[in-house]
Amino acid sequence: MGEETTPLLTVDNLTIEIAGANVVDGVSFTVARGEVLALVGESGCGKSLTSYAMLGLLPPAARRIAGRILLEGTDLAAMSERQLRKARGKDISIIFQEPSASLDPLTTVGSQIASAFRQHHAVSGTEAFARARDMLVAVGIPDADHRLHQYPFELSGGMCQRIMIAIALICGPRVLVADEPTTALDVTIQAQILDLMKQLVATSGTSIVFITHDMGVVADIADHVAVMYAGRIAEIAPVRDLFARPAHPYTALLLASVPRLDITPKANLATIEGSVPFPNEFGYGCRFASRCPLATDRCRAEQPPLFEQGGGHRSACWHINRVHELKENAA
Amino acid sequence: MSAPENVLEIRNVAVHFQGRAGLFGRSAHTVKAVNGVDLDILKGETVALVGESGCGKSTLSNTIVGLQPPTTGSIRLGEDEVVGATGRALNDIRRKVQMIFQDPALSLDPRFKIGAAIAEPLQVRGIARGKALKQRVSELLVQVGLRYEHADRYPHQLSGGQRQRVVIARALALEPALVVCDEPVSALDVSVRAQILNLLVALQKRTGVSYLFVSHDLAVVRHICDRVVVMYLGRFVEIADRDTFFANPKHPYAKALMAAVPEADPERQRNKEGNKERYILSGELPSPSNIPSGCAFHTRCPLATDICTRDRPELTPRADGALVACHHA
Repeated sequence: MGEETTPLLTVDNLTIEIAGANVVDGVSFTVARGEVLALVGESGCGKSLTSYAMLGLLPPAARRIAGRILLEGTDLAAMSERQLRKARGKDISIIFQEPSASLDPLTTVGSQIASAFRQHHAVSGTEAFARARDMLVAVGIPDADHRLHQYPFELSGGMCQRIMIAIALICGPRVLVADEPTTALDVTIQAQILDLMKQLVATSGTSIVFITHDMGVVADIADHVAVMYAGRIAEIAPVRDLFARPAHPYTALLLASVPRLDITPKANLATIEGSVPFPNEFGYGCRFASRCPLATDRCRAEQPPLFEQGGGHRSACWHINRVHELKENAA
Repeated sequence: MSAPENVLEIRNVAVHFQGRAGLFGRSAHTVKAVNGVDLDILKGETVALVGESGCGKSTLSNTIVGLQPPTTGSIRLGEDEVVGATGRALNDIRRKVQMIFQDPALSLDPRFKIGAAIAEPLQVRGIARGKALKQRVSELLVQVGLRYEHADRYPHQLSGGQRQRVVIARALALEPALVVCDEPVSALDVSVRAQILNLLVALQKRTGVSYLFVSHDLAVVRHICDRVVVMYLGRFVEIADRDTFFANPKHPYAKALMAAVPEADPERQRNKEGNKERYILSGELPSPSNIPSGCAFHTRCPLATDICTRDRPELTPRADGALVACHHA
């Protein structure tokens, strides 16, 4: 889907350094218009840093040492802070995991949404409020007139996340970065928010870079998936392809280690031994080699490039043809 | 039902919190976090307690381990009544029940070495000292898949999964009959979760400990538990054996919880979309300070009728052994 069109967003060779270690290392991907790309990985894999870099929000300790972030040809990474302020909200927006931590507790949600609109549009307060009201309706908040005048503490977590989505989308950005937007919510509310996001993509054509560690959420919302491990993309593929034919040992083991709702459990879950290496432990080779049952000397010495598997499915592994063994062992 | 092998017997436990009167003298609300529940846990059994945040599952687990006195009801651990016990008696009872929390980083004192953290309960109880203490700490570390060298490290030198192993070792140090696990894997990375779940299962096989496993993740629950208890606004709405429950959840709330879990399978996940729409719950959990009349779930229930707003359904047994509190299921 959308494979032939020019991509809306291109991240090219993004490399971010913290204290001498490349915590994001040569990350490249593209996102088409109206597409949802999931960035999946565990804590420390660099998925959040990648997304912050897209908005120029890297923490002070982190430094981008290479790479471009092209939004329809304009390099966001090369922008000054002043230019970024113009782009944020209008071209690219972000929502975070904990909505109550992102909202101002002392301001009504109506004025927070309205001020996001006025950041980019010279309109009166009344008009901005009217737009805020429309937006509340669009994100499915009942009784919008009343809610506009409430403070964040008067709303539940799910409602606050809807407010965050309203703020992020009111200026019609082309790309929405969603950093674990449903992780802090109950599953019932998560289902509502995921449905809302799918509906917004369908109606507005906004592309979403969806950051998560939850394979279930990926299966629900993503068109394409990039699996990250220790700062690099391990595998990138259309969503059905990835789940049906994982071509990287990390993906295969990750999928096998997730307990399933639809399968009567066996005695033991498949596990990945050890834990994610710290940045100072990254070696020269494949960063998954220390935990990989297929690893050979070559893996420890030489970093594998992303090999094309056809249909946009690429995997960074020297032993792609043996990955199916892992799946069979786990089954 | 009071067979001798019950490690835990809860009878009619309620936990109410009296709110303070409002600023302008409005009447005080009573938050009814737990509202009359009964539960037995057998020796070696794992019971899962599931529900949304605010349903009272954490209040109930705190009550079971004696961190929160119940307003009414009885909690028996083996032969001993927890409610009303004080001083030494309470201390002795507490030895039989331990707790594992969600975030291991918050459960360990950052200035305690791992060995000292695990040794502390043994020293407090005067169970072991000197060489025997070292020996026991070493055994516990090995039991949870760590090495004795870890005893000399601080929590920050370990990964999240290793820290949770330490917390588990400490919980098992006193050989409790029951461990209450409050979301023990939700803060862990996906690839580490499976290790910890396997460890909990293996330890249960070895020691015969029982678990009360509090979780919102039904896939994890299916993997680990023998029985499922679904809680909604302070009451149990469905209790069933694992296979019965997952084959055929009956309470509309249980069905909605199941439908809401995104499955790690794009085909299944997208095929059930049409089906799932029916069960996506509109709205959110009402406040426990203002619980709806009749069946507390009627405000969100797709099956609700008049009787649901008037009469609260009791848990009644169904043909396959499940207990369900619903007029229409």
